[in-house]
Amino acid sequence: MTDTRQFGDLATQLVAESRRSTLTDTLLKYNDSLVRSIIREQRDLEKMTETSQNVTPAMLIYQTTIVRNKRCLLAYHKHRMDRLRDMYWTAGGALPHILSNQDIRSKLSPHEVDFLRQYSTSVMDYRAGFSNELDITASITHPPKDLHVLVHVIRDCGVIQTELGSIDFQKGQRFMVRRADIEHLIVQGYLEEV
Amino acid sequence: MDIDDDDFFTNLDQSGRVANNNAFQERLRQAPRDDDGAEILDAPPFMLEEEEETPLQQLIRHWMNERHSPDILPNEGELLAGLLDHIRSQSETVQLLRTDPSSSEEEHFRIMLVQTEVERVKFIVRSYLRTRLFKIEKFARYIMTNPEVQQRLSESEVEHARRFARLTDQHFYHSVLQSLPETQQTLDDQPPFVPSMVTEPDKARAVFVLARQDCPPVRLPDGSALDMRKGHISLTLYSVVEQLIARGEVELV
Repeated sequence: MTDTRQFGDLATQLVAESRRSTLTDTLLKYNDSLVRSIIREQRDLEKMTETSQNVTPAMLIYQTTIVRNKRCLLAYHKHRMDRLRDMYWTAGGALPHILSNQDIRSKLSPHEVDFLRQYSTSVMDYRAGFSNELDITASITHPPKDLHVLVHVIRDCGVIQTELGSIDFQKGQRFMVRRADIEHLIVQGYLEEV
Repeated sequence: MDIDDDDFFTNLDQSGRVANNNAFQERLRQAPRDDDGAEILDAPPFMLEEEEETPLQQLIRHWMNERHSPDILPNEGELLAGLLDHIRSQSETVQLLRTDPSSSEEEHFRIMLVQTEVERVKFIVRSYLRTRLFKIEKFARYIMTNPEVQQRLSESEVEHARRFARLTDQHFYHSVLQSLPETQQTLDDQPPFVPSMVTEPDKARAVFVLARQDCPPVRLPDGSALDMRKGHISLTLYSVVEQLIARGEVELV
């Protein structure tokens, strides 16, 4: 494989991963080794442009590859950031819920975990401005039609304060509760609408 | 989202109708600006003659504009603050009435309607804010380099844009740029034939506009003029109608 490799092949692979991730709508594992190889290629290319004394047509190829590789690297990371943000909002801003999921956690690079933490802090700061009236991280996919909702408990989630007092949600039970009180639990997959 | 079913908007009017009832009005009187939907007719808003828009109708219009526009529109801070105050006072009143043992059965039913209404208004407010937040994050770097755009944002939105722009830069730097040779570490290169690294709103995007009143003619890119009467709908470039939207003469649909 290495014999026939051209400059930029690796970056194409990286972008193909982003495409695959979009098409299958899944978050793929952070491809650390591929990112590293591209960075190595960038250093090599840089050296080649530095060592050649006069301007040759080859220089143009090197320069173009450098620009393209860099753009692909950034696009890959940006694409992942977008996915992470989507994930964050779909979970209703429940960061611990995402980070405690081993499956997701194993797909993230350490920098991405940092990114999510700081992003969450920033969103929470913004949200605090509205905390007296409403929670901006709640769902915006369906306008509420009813005040109350019949839910089925999928996973134990302990005692929750609701309008009717505190309820101990245990697996298998059904409750008629006020939507606003438990919406975040539906989003996080503890409860399910019947 | 199934917001286009008729149900949605009729339901939105419900608190208005409920509040029209005298007994209930009395009890809600301490809530200021209880004028949402007080005079709502069944006709769509653009058919109303000289009818003052209620704050909620205004918000719905701005919300739809915001959702359809490729660019960030000016922040409706005052309108929003009014509605949020109203939501809070309504919620407090509802709490008070719910725990009041002298509330009649009929009143409890109305309270439920008001609560539902409040939840639905909250939904629109939330969707409106989240739409803006989405655009702000998308254009964060553009916003931070462009003071004119910052004027259109609220303070906390600018803060968020600043933090987000810094955050993405940091992430790029730690994940990629710091390992590259120094000459390649910039985030604003402009090599030929490559799109800019700073995402900007695409003002050439096509949008559907509905004229809320007779509009002065606007010039299309090909030189001809677009003259819209009241109620007229047309498909055109965002940049063409940008001014009309800002003046509230048209709305995006």
